[in-house]
Amino acid sequence: MATVRIREAVRRRSPRAPRSAGEWRTMTLTGLGLLVLVTVHMIANHFVVRSIGGLRDYQQVLAYIANPAIFTIESLFLLFVTVHAMLGLRGVLLDLDPGPRLRRWIDRGLAVLGLATLAYGYFLIGTLASRA
Amino acid sequence: MSGQELPGIERRGDDGPVLRKGVGIPASGWFDPRGRALGGFAFAVNRVTGLGLVVYLYLHLAVLSMLLRGESAWSGFLRLATNWLFLSLDVLLIFGILYHGLNGIRVALVGSGLVADRQKALWWALGVIGTITLAFSALHIYGSR
Repeated sequence: MATVRIREAVRRRSPRAPRSAGEWRTMTLTGLGLLVLVTVHMIANHFVVRSIGGLRDYQQVLAYIANPAIFTIESLFLLFVTVHAMLGLRGVLLDLDPGPRLRRWIDRGLAVLGLATLAYGYFLIGTLASRA
Repeated sequence: MSGQELPGIERRGDDGPVLRKGVGIPASGWFDPRGRALGGFAFAVNRVTGLGLVVYLYLHLAVLSMLLRGESAWSGFLRLATNWLFLSLDVLLIFGILYHGLNGIRVALVGSGLVADRQKALWWALGVIGTITLAFSALHIYGSR
């Protein structure tokens, strides 16, 4: 009884919602993956091509994304960054201490946003690769 | 103790004699920088950069959508994107990525218990690496003009 009261008191005091071990692990693993993928992405997009800001022109972008290795890397990058971003957003929103009902809507909303982001991102990558 | 109130439980929510020193989030929110220890400050900046990167993700997808409209639309964007302001935003983006990424390494190392007692030293060490990388990146980006 007393333990329950203490837990309840601690829960009400803490504005940061508890994060499950699985969620923390997913956040960490996608974060570690992103460290590699974002490094490749930034170097390939800003530090390889000799132009202002290292930006590619239209034909160079198509040739770049049509390369199977780059296509795979960019696809993985999109997946990792979307999962990481949605989990991060969830953490920020759950810190506002929403009730269980609102929390379920947050989970659903972020799942829909994440899937829509992935769908549009893969459509974009696929369309550009097919134009090369 | 079952069935009884623990002594002092009604005062557990009160602030201690030293306000907001150490772990935890101030009642005013995680983005409040007042009276924070280094870990709390690092956490708040990590959140701000994380939210900025999420906004950038969608901006980036919107900008890349110009590629679907063909070569002339993309060339028009490139003319805009190679001015000083846009290149400065690129440097700001690299700062966000570096801070969020390097602080993420620190959080993962501390959170997994590998270097639980070295978080301050890690923050400074990774900060030096990040500053050097940012300076190199900024020189490269501005130098390409």
